[in-house]
Amino acid sequence: MEKPSGLRRVSGLVVAFAVLVACNMAGGLLSSFLHLPVPGPVVGILVLLGVLAALGKVPLLLRETAEFMIGHLNLFYIPAGVGVMAYAALVRQDWLPIVAALFGSTFLALIVGSLVFQWVARRTGRHMPDGEGS
Amino acid sequence: MSGVLEGIFWLVLTIGLYWLAREFQRRLNGHPAASPVLIAAAILIGLLLLGGRSYEAYRPAGSVLLWFLGPGTVALAVPLYLNFAQVRSALLPLTVALVLGSATAAGSAVMIAWALGATPEIVSTLAPKSVTTPIAMAVASEIGGIPALAAALVILTGGIGAVCGSAVFNVLGVRDPRARGFAMGTAAHGMGTARAFQVSFVAGTFSGVAMTLNAILTAIALPLIWLFFK
Repeated sequence: MEKPSGLRRVSGLVVAFAVLVACNMAGGLLSSFLHLPVPGPVVGILVLLGVLAALGKVPLLLRETAEFMIGHLNLFYIPAGVGVMAYAALVRQDWLPIVAALFGSTFLALIVGSLVFQWVARRTGRHMPDGEGS
Repeated sequence: MSGVLEGIFWLVLTIGLYWLAREFQRRLNGHPAASPVLIAAAILIGLLLLGGRSYEAYRPAGSVLLWFLGPGTVALAVPLYLNFAQVRSALLPLTVALVLGSATAAGSAVMIAWALGATPEIVSTLAPKSVTTPIAMAVASEIGGIPALAAALVILTGGIGAVCGSAVFNVLGVRDPRARGFAMGTAAHGMGTARAFQVSFVAGTFSGVAMTLNAILTAIALPLIWLFFK
C-alpha cells in the first residue's frame, strides 16, 4: 500500500485521532443513556470494534495512530500517580493493609492468571510452542 | 493568568520527564524496574513538595493528560481486531483465566486489606485496583470508595505488575507469551499492557484483551457482588 505523504498524511492522522475521540464519546453517551454498568471507554472499544468489523479492515493511518496512543499509554497514567500525594495522610494511616493488599493481590493475580491460562491452553491442545513471539 | 502558565509548566514538565524516563529505561535495555510512570510521578511529587505546592496546583495539567486516557483506551480495539482469529482460537483458556484472575485480583486485595484492619472506605477503594483508571474510578465511587485514591492505587498496582511480572512468570516457568500477556493485563491493566508490548506483539495483544475484558467484567460484577455481601 502506498504511504500517503505531506498534508494528506497529517489530515489523515487528525481524522484517525478524531475517530478514537468520537468512539470514546459515543461509548460515554451509550453508557449513560442506556444506564449500562460499563464505563464509557470500554463501550468505546466495542464501538470501534463494530466500526472496524463493518469496514472489514483497519485503515493504515488509524492503525498508526492507535499504535502511537497505545505506545504512550503510560504518559496518560502519570497524573493519577501524582495524585497519591493528595491522599498521603489517608495512605499513611492504613499503609500496612494498603501495601500488603497491593503487592499480595497483584502477585496472586499474575500467578493465577498465567498458570490457569497455560493449563487450560495445554489441556485443549492449542497451546503455542514455548517462547514463540517473545 | 499565572494559574494558566503554571498549568502549562507542569504539563510540559510531565511530558519532558516522561520522555527522559523512557530514554532512561531504553538505556537499561528496557529493564522493567525503571517504570517511566513511577519515576516521572515520583519526581513530580518531589518537585511539587519542594516548591511548596499542593496537588491542586498540578490538577489542571493532570486533567489534560488524563483526558487522553479515554481515546488511548479505545485504541486497544485495533490490535484486538487485527488479532481476532488468534484471540478466538484461545477463547476457552482466555475465559477461565479471566474469571479466576479477575476474582483473585479483587478478592485477595479486599481480604488482605480487611484482615489487616483497613477502614471500609479503604477496602472499597482497593477492590477495583487491577482495572484501568477511568473504570476503577467509576467502580470505586459506586461501592463507597474514594475515586481519586483508587486512581492512584491503580497506578501503584500497574507499577508492581510491570516491574515484577516477567520475573514471576520466569519463576513459575510460564513461557507461552499469550499466558504471560493475559495475566499481565488482568493484574496490571494498561501499564502491564504497555510493558507486554515492549516484550512482544503477541503478549501485548493478549494483555490488551485481558485488560479490556477485566474492565468489563469488574465494572459489571463487582458492584453486584458488593451489594450481595453487604
